[in-house]
Amino acid sequence: MKFMEKYGKLIAMSAAALCMTAALTIESSLAYFTTYVSAGGGGVVNLGSSTVIDEEVEEMTKLITITNPSDRSDCFVRVKVFSGTEVTAAVSGDGNWRRGENDYWYYTPVLPAGASTTVLNAKINVPEGFDKDNFNVVVVQECTPVVYDENGNETADWNTVIGGEDDWKEAGE
Amino acid sequence: MKKDRRASSESSGARRAGKGGGNSRKVTYGLLALAVVLLLGSTIGSTRAALTYYSENYTAEITVSQIGVSLVENGKVVSSRDYEKNEWKMANNAGEGAANGALLKGMLKDGEKLALNKSYEEKLSVRNSGTIDEYVRVRIYKYWTRKVGENSSEKVTTLSPSLIKLNLVNEGQWIKNPDDVQAIANGGEKECMELYYKGILPSGSETAVFADSIMIDGQVAADAEIIRDGKTIKTVYKYDGVEFHVDVEVDAVQTHNAQDAIKSAWGVDAAALGIL
Repeated sequence: MKFMEKYGKLIAMSAAALCMTAALTIESSLAYFTTYVSAGGGGVVNLGSSTVIDEEVEEMTKLITITNPSDRSDCFVRVKVFSGTEVTAAVSGDGNWRRGENDYWYYTPVLPAGASTTVLNAKINVPEGFDKDNFNVVVVQECTPVVYDENGNETADWNTVIGGEDDWKEAGE
Repeated sequence: MKKDRRASSESSGARRAGKGGGNSRKVTYGLLALAVVLLLGSTIGSTRAALTYYSENYTAEITVSQIGVSLVENGKVVSSRDYEKNEWKMANNAGEGAANGALLKGMLKDGEKLALNKSYEEKLSVRNSGTIDEYVRVRIYKYWTRKVGENSSEKVTTLSPSLIKLNLVNEGQWIKNPDDVQAIANGGEKECMELYYKGILPSGSETAVFADSIMIDGQVAADAEIIRDGKTIKTVYKYDGVEFHVDVEVDAVQTHNAQDAIKSAWGVDAAALGIL
């Protein structure tokens, strides 16, 4: 007991010093060789598109063209012509236009930014005796961005577009 | 008599003290010597690493362990960090002073616009550019941002990272973190995906690619509104102008004492992952 009273402090201090010294040797065995690198990148998705529909009437035929005034986004366009039961419209166009699902007329090439379609004709047939100054033939057009199918071909995904008169909103509303 | 006995007692105590002081010094010197030996022992590792032998005809140099790793994109190194001659050598393709490499720089040709659903080549692999074998893993981050003001942008958290389709391949060699797989299976969205290369990547070797292409899903254009203004019909997309990002981090760790090294560096159980 007397020995511990006399040398206890010394032994404790020495033991602490030993532990600290031994701890110095532990560092190297815990430090593993590691390294790392990193890199990143991305791109901007430009989706903004707008189209301008131009209709002229010559000899009871609507001459319809669509322009893509966007400065950055190409798109696909399609057109639908609505007429009444008495007044009918016979739609025709050159080889770029194709009649497809739901009576839409699809402009098959991509409409590049700043370009216009060829003319789509809608010949209006008015029955005898019908008021030629009072009837409606409505033209609806829609556009959708260019996407690609699994084979890498440019295509249009019309399911992703909100279209038709019901979904339209007047500017400023 | 009393005085004599006290004097005798003091004399005896002094003798005991003198004997005890000698023992104390011995213990102290012994401990000091032990401490010196341990200190010297702790420095031997670095001394050995620096040891170089010179003679008139030969210069013999001991090669020390030099770990290094590089990220390779479409056959070109985009970023590397190697330990050479007692310092870290870092290089990347993003220019002087850049901390990270640049990915997807060559994705679009001059004047080409990013098209939705189009698959672009993006072959990513890892090269061991050090002198020792290593284990590697990659962490892939996918996220969206939108510009706010001139020089700042903010994350778009309402757009799913899964719309950035980095096509991961060679899944037999690149093991996905099971936690990530589970989270995705449960319908969760993961911004970060971890892939662990199965086995040792020898010095100078390159892994099989862990991704081969990238595509932006056309669903990003699903949220749109059409506004008619006279003859002009404008399609306004909610996510027009957003920017997609793919960041890749590569980590490498020594193969010696791999289980503990990987646990220490990456915090995962390498044996349980099946990558050892």
